[in-house]
Amino acid sequence: MAMLEEPGYAGIGPRIPLREMIPVPRFAAAIWLRNFRVFSKLWRGALLPTFLDPFLYLLALGFGLGTYVAHINGIPYKDFIAPGLIASAAMWSSAFETTYNVYFRMNELRLYDNVLSTPVEVQDLVAGDLAWSASRATVYGVVVLVVVALFGLISSPWAILIPPFVVLGGLCFSVIGYTFTTLIPKIDLYSYFFTLGITPMFLFSGIFFPFNQLPDWVGVVAWFMPLYHLVEITRGLATGPELWSIVGNSAWLLVLSALLFTIPVRALRKKLVA
Amino acid sequence: METEIGPAVIARRLTKTYGRRVAVDGIDFEVEPGICFGFLGPNGAGKTTTMKMIYGLATVDGGELTVLGLDAARERREIKSRIGVVPQETNLDGDLTVRENLLQQARYFGVDSAKAAERTGELVEFALLADRADERIHALSGGMKRRLLISRALIGDPELVVLDEPTTGLDPQARLAVWGALDRLRRRGVTLLLTTHYMEEAERLCDRLVIMDEGRIVTDGKPPDLVRYHVGREVLELRLDEGCDAERLVGSLDGRIQGHDLSERTLMLYADDAESLLAGLDHDSFPTESALVRRATLEDVFLRLTGRSLRE
Repeated sequence: MAMLEEPGYAGIGPRIPLREMIPVPRFAAAIWLRNFRVFSKLWRGALLPTFLDPFLYLLALGFGLGTYVAHINGIPYKDFIAPGLIASAAMWSSAFETTYNVYFRMNELRLYDNVLSTPVEVQDLVAGDLAWSASRATVYGVVVLVVVALFGLISSPWAILIPPFVVLGGLCFSVIGYTFTTLIPKIDLYSYFFTLGITPMFLFSGIFFPFNQLPDWVGVVAWFMPLYHLVEITRGLATGPELWSIVGNSAWLLVLSALLFTIPVRALRKKLVA
Repeated sequence: METEIGPAVIARRLTKTYGRRVAVDGIDFEVEPGICFGFLGPNGAGKTTTMKMIYGLATVDGGELTVLGLDAARERREIKSRIGVVPQETNLDGDLTVRENLLQQARYFGVDSAKAAERTGELVEFALLADRADERIHALSGGMKRRLLISRALIGDPELVVLDEPTTGLDPQARLAVWGALDRLRRRGVTLLLTTHYMEEAERLCDRLVIMDEGRIVTDGKPPDLVRYHVGREVLELRLDEGCDAERLVGSLDGRIQGHDLSERTLMLYADDAESLLAGLDHDSFPTESALVRRATLEDVFLRLTGRSLRE
């Protein structure tokens, strides 16, 4: 039995009073800085694929498929998919950071055992890790923004406002990945997370095709996907924004992030401070 | 000194259960400030769990635990800011260098950066790692990692340091270096709390200790007093011949020994003067292969109280 299950796997754990849920910024920042410090040593190798990824999608879909699909909703196909690739880069970054990277720090390096025996508490640890993951997602998103801008695929100056919204989207993806990581008993389950969660979201969140010609239920399903809301924001800012659409989609991402935050805090408390 | 400092740790009926298993079963102890206090016991005795309750990685299920005058159940953050922890498993940050590990630990303690740099300088010296301060962790030997773990525990200038098996798996030289570090700490007035499997380590380092077994404390006191009380001054260790009846032999010594233990064919006789006990032995009636007179040690106390059978 003990071969496959992680030691200390404990499920969601009991309720925690609200005051023990609220992170102390100073301690969360210490966690953020650790992750930043390590990333700053490794970023050269880590960022290169990020330049190549959107380039490949643009090549295959924008220039390849785009030759046949000239315009969507009056926008050239390349320009249509480019803002979505900013959002999906943030999603992929958050998904990897809060699954494999967090899992490795927690269960292989056992770093969290040390962190939690200092004045840092579980809520500070989770907040610091999430803030870091959102920051990292923003770095990746901005790299893609720069690449697609260099290709001349951004038509609105409002695109300069994209980064803060990528922070918010990155945070939302990160809370989801972190929640998954703190609840799974074994690492093998990540393949389900990616195959049934992240990849379908990448394909069906309106990056590659719009929903207005499809049956209504497609749009309804998409509304439940965080990536859909971030794509709506980045495409809006890249092509000419509508204020209320941005407000609504941001609120969706913010509310889900706040609601989910309590789960990894409770689960990690149960797992590491039993 | 006129100022009165209360005990560093007080446990009253302290209890911890995991599911149906009782890991710590209502123990009481008190640790005076400035001493080195040891927890001995076989695997699964509850030592590590007790440590974890003190440094906040396990919750208190029953009874009371006061650390540095604070309630461990409610004031976890405050307690953790005033203690240092050396865990059983090495959990240094492998992506960072020696110096960065210490600087990062200072951040976790909220130490400001000027002070962190100063302490890091001192602590790489303390760990005898000044010439390797900029190397990655995986380049260090086991002994160096241990010394760094101890240094890391000191970054917050703690009043109490908790060490869970600080020398397990080290070679004799590395162990001596760790003992040296702990001696220096104690001279600074830091209270030390340690668990160990090594009896000579406990005898050498601990001013007081408790022996735990199955979640309970079976005895406590100063090491020499424990040896005197449970065993006596000396041990006569006899390897018996096939034909020797151990029970009759023990019976014939009634009143001249303080106790005995028999394991396989080795008979331990505890006495204040083992030499004269050996001289007076009737070798014809009780044939032996060999006889050894030695000083009684904490190991004898430990095995007497916790038994000789394997614990797994």
